[in-house]
This record gives sequence, structure tokens and C-alpha cells, in this order.
Amino acid sequence: MRLPSLLGRLTVWRAVLGALLIAGLYATVIRFGQGLGAATNLSDDYPWGLWIGFDVLVGVGVAAGGFVIAATVHVFRMERYAAIARPALLTAFLGYLMVILAVLFDLGRPMRIWHPLVFWNTRSVMFLIGWCEMLYAIVLAAEFSPLLFEKLGWHKPLKVVRRMMTPLVILGVLLSVTHQSSLGSLYVIAPDKLHPLWYSPMLPVLFLISAVAAGLAMTMFESCMSSRAFGRRLEGGLVRGLGRAVVVTQAVYLVLRANDLIYRGALGYAFEATPEAVLFWGEIGLGSALPMVLLSSRRVRYSNSGLFFASTLTVMGFIVHRLNVAVTGMAGWTGVSYFPSWMEVTVTVFLVALGVACFGLAARYLPVFPKAEEEPLPESLAPRSGKPYDPDRILTRPALLGLWGMLALGAVGVLATDSISASPQAEERGAAARAGAAAPADARHPSAVAQGLEDLTLPPPFRFPASEDSPGPVVFDHADHVDPMDVRCDACHPRLFRFTTPGTPAEGVVNSDRAHDGDLCASCHDGEKAFSAYDDCMLCHQESEG
Amino acid sequence: MQPGILVDLNRCAGCGSCALACREINELPADAPDDRLSATSWTFIERRGGLSIKRQCMHCLNPACASVCPVGALRKSDEGPVVYNERLCMGCRYCMIACPFGVPRYEWDSTEPRVRKCIMCWEKRIQKGGEPACTSTCPTGALRFGEREELISEAQRRIRDKPEAYVNQVYGLHEAGGTSVLYLSPVPFATIGFPNVHKDTEYPGMTWAILDKLPAALTVGGALLAGVWWLTGRREIMEQVRSGEITMDEAMRRRPPVTGDAADEEVES
Ligand code: SF4
Ligand code: SF4
Repeated sequence: MRLPSLLGRLTVWRAVLGALLIAGLYATVIRFGQGLGAATNLSDDYPWGLWIGFDVLVGVGVAAGGFVIAATVHVFRMERYAAIARPALLTAFLGYLMVILAVLFDLGRPMRIWHPLVFWNTRSVMFLIGWCEMLYAIVLAAEFSPLLFEKLGWHKPLKVVRRMMTPLVILGVLLSVTHQSSLGSLYVIAPDKLHPLWYSPMLPVLFLISAVAAGLAMTMFESCMSSRAFGRRLEGGLVRGLGRAVVVTQAVYLVLRANDLIYRGALGYAFEATPEAVLFWGEIGLGSALPMVLLSSRRVRYSNSGLFFASTLTVMGFIVHRLNVAVTGMAGWTGVSYFPSWMEVTVTVFLVALGVACFGLAARYLPVFPKAEEEPLPESLAPRSGKPYDPDRILTRPALLGLWGMLALGAVGVLATDSISASPQAEERGAAARAGAAAPADARHPSAVAQGLEDLTLPPPFRFPASEDSPGPVVFDHADHVDPMDVRCDACHPRLFRFTTPGTPAEGVVNSDRAHDGDLCASCHDGEKAFSAYDDCMLCHQESEG
Repeated sequence: MQPGILVDLNRCAGCGSCALACREINELPADAPDDRLSATSWTFIERRGGLSIKRQCMHCLNPACASVCPVGALRKSDEGPVVYNERLCMGCRYCMIACPFGVPRYEWDSTEPRVRKCIMCWEKRIQKGGEPACTSTCPTGALRFGEREELISEAQRRIRDKPEAYVNQVYGLHEAGGTSVLYLSPVPFATIGFPNVHKDTEYPGMTWAILDKLPAALTVGGALLAGVWWLTGRREIMEQVRSGEITMDEAMRRRPPVTGDAADEEVES
């Protein structure tokens, strides 16, 4: 009798979520039950994939809004941004939790995630990242805690945390800056591996600035989304302010990026017909330049779909940049392509969905979004069409079209990466391989002896003891078996006969069957390559003495 | 003391004894692939351009892998070889990204995976004053174990004596700031798959140049933020003076307000 109502509630989205949950659990069981190899497409050529490239690099990056806005409010005292600080902090906090989960999936030995706390290599960027991740997660929790205390009505702790806010925020900024830039520093040690369009000793700075842009855009995006999902009004003025900040950040980023490419002489790679160049332009053009141009227009800043579209572009561009660094940029060097397994994708989607769900829950039950006044649109920007201005209508047709377009582009980009092989490094390696192969295969390199580089000292004759029914011991002399003009130890060693330590003679009895018919002496002494083992016993066996 | 291995591609007969000896001493499975580095194959003979090329960890003088390892699982031992402590490793695999020669391998199919690479028979031979299994089995003298400095002079002597037989380069002398494993070859190294890594540059230094700036940057940044906080606070107080809420004297005694003070009062009332 409950069934019909249950079925009635089974909407498409619930089905999708259910399927995701089951698939995510399955992937989790495989990952931890059978290891990384069974669950992922990672390999010795691609030790880092989607989980590092997306879950970690992007997860930390989009959390950057948290420290930027906290500093704006508490240090620069632009207190009107306090209204937007909470969603930003919540995103940051959830982002950091998601990253910790993702790291547990990605680490080969997840139970040792605490090791950097005890075993220190302070000169390692990864060590620094581990500490920043942990410490900033704690700081974020503290920065966010007033919401909880407010909800619960705990005034004492609320007061304490508020008192500590300034040092907390400053500490948070320092930790964040270190963390964001260090993610870029990770790759500074791989100048040969990372494609020149992305490698730069400036990576830490570029990572920091692009993370700030993405963090701000993420906060804008959330304001847009949550105004739709929870019926909260957009903080129009504030989101527009963020939009202006994104313009400035993107401009700084683009200038630095261009400078860096020109300075390193790598700009040329952007104009080659390679998948790398396509992805580069996608990231720079659609993800940085376009939103910057869009957001510098007042008209766009006053349009909800404009804000939504531009912030989505910025975040997508950011994601593509991180994936380019982690995946695309490495393809040329390894010469192998990587595409995440369905389990890697599922776990990632699962973690994102978890984050979104937590955000939704928090937004519902905690005072995350303050009630905001709706402000009238300036006269000059009133929509020209007859439709009344509706701030809730964000997912308008152009915005939706744009979104689908971006998804399609993304899919094309991903497919393109899959077929990367024409990168400069790959070319170089390919050329090297060809040059190597050009030497005729049978041109055995003349051995040292033939070149007269040194005298070949052959071991003294071995005397294999005779077994019971043997006509006599066999003496093996290298001198009879080695052509000094074509020394080929590998004809017999070490497949047929192990080498012994120089100076130590061979030990033991040679199996008679293997010697006469099997894989030892008989592999040459077969009557064709050399006289047969049955030709004349005394060719090999010697008269026993006495 | 910096032990090294000199690999003379002119002398290598390609018998593969070294790879076999490596397998035996490190108890690696006998049927491991012998055409590439893997978790179960720490050295192998690559057949390329008519040459037989022993591949293995280069044992860098200042190893990138050890410098990036957050927990110090990989480190350069006092005796010279770059060694691995599997009890510390947490499996972040940064070492694999960092190594310019692409050496470290991982046990992907294990639930307790380890990083695997040549450790120059560190505990089994070097610490006991011996030489690695591979060099001690090599029947042709293509592998020679010894003091790195001596091996370099030996390599240079061989080039000098037979300039027509060698390219004039000892691979590993300058590569990645110097490595303990050195190669001599009759053909240019780039044509037989030796990566064209940075010369006379130690890879760890690239990162350290950045890390070294961090303390100063953070101190300045922290001071700057505190300064801004103080300034913006002062401005608020001075505004109160201007609007006549408090006197100048009072203003001088006030500390900059903490954001949220107002909210506190709200809570209290
Ligand atoms: S070659 Fe690679 S694995 Fe070996 S010591 Fe150098 S950096 Fe480490
Ligand atoms: S995988 Fe292990 S050895 Fe390699 S860097 Fe990470 S902790 Fe160190």
C-alpha cells in the first residue's frame, strides 16, 4: 500500500542519485578491496590522474573564495560582504573535506594519511600541502563555527570565536596562500615532463591567482544557484562586486600568463595544430578572457544569467587548466594516453554530489544565506523586452544553451586529449626512437674484443664431475665455444647456464637428460648447429682417471 | 664516499645476467617482464639500435624523488644509494612525477602497494662493503662498480683512448646535477632513449628556490594583513571622532575593533 506512493516519488533525479550511490559504493569497495590498479586507469606512466587533477587540485582551488572573502570582511573591513562570507566559507570547508576524502581514495596506503604529521621532510612541497590541508580545514571549521553556535544559541563559544576572528582569518589567509601556490609548486620539479604551455617556474603564482578567480566565481555561482534552489534572493550588489574582482584577477592572470609564455619562448606551441594548443585556447580564451570581457560589461553584471554564465565559464576554465596541468600536459612525455576509468569518474561525481548535498542541507538548516533585500534594477538597465525583470530566472535559454555548448566543448576536449601523441616531446621521443631503430637490426655491435678494446679473459675450463653411469667427467672450455670476433655470451648465458661468481667454478651435476636431449648442451649440440650429443661420447666426456 | 656504476655500452654483450642477478637478490618473481622497468623488474636490458642498454635508477647525487617525498620514505643513504623505506611510504606517488628519468614504479595491483626501484643492493651488499649483484655478475666488464670519481676518470680515459668508439659524453656526469650511474655509448645518447634532462641543475633546487622564499613572503604577508587590519580599524575610530561620538583622547586609547564586535553586543542584548 506504500508502494504506489514510493513509486510516485521515484523521479528521474532520484533514480540517477540512487544509481550514483550504488555505483559509488561499488567503486569504493573495489578501490579499497583490490587496490588502485583494479579501480583506476592509473599506471606507472600516469601515476596521477583524475583524482589528483580534479578532486584535489580543483577541490582546493574552488575553496579559495573562503579566504579571499574572509579577508575582505575581517581585515579590509568591507563588512557588507559579510552576507556572502558564509556561503564562501561553507564551500571552502566542504571543498577541503572533499579533498581529504579524495586523498584517501588516491593514496596507495590511505591508512597512513597521518604519516606527514610524524615523519617530516620539511623540504618537500607535498609535506607542506599535507599540513596546510589539515590546518586550514581546522581554521575553516573555526571560522564557520559561529553559524552553528548561532543556530544552537550557544553564546559563550560564539563570543570566544568572534574575538579570535582576526588572527584566525589572517592565519587562514597565510595557510591558504601557501596551500594554493604549493599545488602549483608540485609541478615545478617536472620541467621535462609538463608541456611547455603549462610548465613554468611561476606555477605557484599562477595557481594562486587562478584559484582566487575561481574561488570568487564559485561564490558567485553558488549565489546564483542557491537563489534558485532555496528561493533566496541574489545579493545583487555583492555578486556584482565579486564580478568586478574576477575581472581584475583574470586580467592579472592573463598578463602574467602571457608574459611567462613569451619570456620562456613557449608561445609558439599555442599556434601549433596540436590537441594541447586547442585545450590551451579553450582554457585561456573561454575560461579566462571571455568571462573577463563579459564581466567588464555593466549590462552583464546586472543580468542574472550574465553573472551565472560568466562565473560558470570562469570555474570551467579553471577546471580545464588544472586538468591540463595534471593530465593533458603530461601526455606528451609519457607517450601514453590516460582516460579515467568509470570508477574514477563515479567516485569523483559521487564526492561532488556529496558536497552539493551537504551544502544544500547546511543552507536549509543553518543561517548560511541571510535574507537580502531585493534591489530595483537601475533605470538604464531595465530589460528592453516586455518581460518583467525576474531575478530568479537565471537559467534562461541563452544561459542553458551556453552551458550545453560548454559541455559539448568539454567532451570534445576530453576526446582530444585521449588522442594526444603529436606533442613536441612525443615527437622528439619518436624521432629518437626512429633514429635508434635506423641502425640495422642485425648489425650486432662489435664486441669489445673485436674492437681490440681489451683482452677477453675467458674463464678456465670447468670440469663437471661424472655421475654414476657416466663414461667420464665433462670438461667445458670456453675457448672452444667463443668466437673471438663475435663474442655472444647471451647465446648461452644466462638462459641456459647461469653465470657463476668470477673465480668460483660451476657446481653440481648437470642433468644428463637435459644435457643430451634437453635444453642445455643439446640446444646447440643437435647435429645441425654443432655435432650431436650422441656422435661420440668421448668428444665431451674424458677418460676417468684411474 | 659515493659509489657508482659505470655502464659501457660498447662492452655489454646483452646477456642479461645483471637483470637475473637483480631478480635473485631482491627475490623478484622469475617470470617478471624483462623488457621494461616494473614493480617486479628493477633493471632490464633494452635492445635498441643494435645495442643492449641496461636501464635502472640513476641514483642521482641530489635525487628529485627523495626531495619530494613528504615522509622521507625515499632518501639518499649515507653510503650513497638512493634507498626506500616501505614502512614510511604513504603512496602519494609524487616521487614518480618528480623523477626526471621516470624510474620509480608502483605495485598497482596490491592493497598494500610499495614504490619499487633499484636501491643498488643497499642493505644486502653496499652496507656490508660489497658491490651490487648486477655488477658482480657481469661477465664482460660492461658494468663496473667503484668510486664515482674514479669511474669518471676511467670513463674519460676510455673515450680518450678510443675516440672513434665512443661519443664524447659520459651520461650522468652532468645530467640532473650528476648521477651515480654513468654511461658510455658509441652513439649519441638522445638516439637511444636517454632523456635529455637538465644538465648541471639539481632538480630539487628548482622547488627549493620557491620554498626558500616562503618564510619571508609569509612574514611580510602576515604583517601586511595585520597592518591593514589596524589601519582600517583606526579609520573606523577616527570616523567616530569626526562624527563627535568619542573624543580624540578616547580614540587614542582604543584598540582597533574586531569585526563582529557589533554582532556580539547584539547577542548579549
Ligand atoms: S633516477 Fe629517479 S628514482 Fe633514481 S635517484 Fe634519481 S630521481 Fe630518484
Ligand atoms: S609514494 Fe611513497 S616514496 Fe613516493 S613520494 Fe609518496 S610517500 Fe614518498
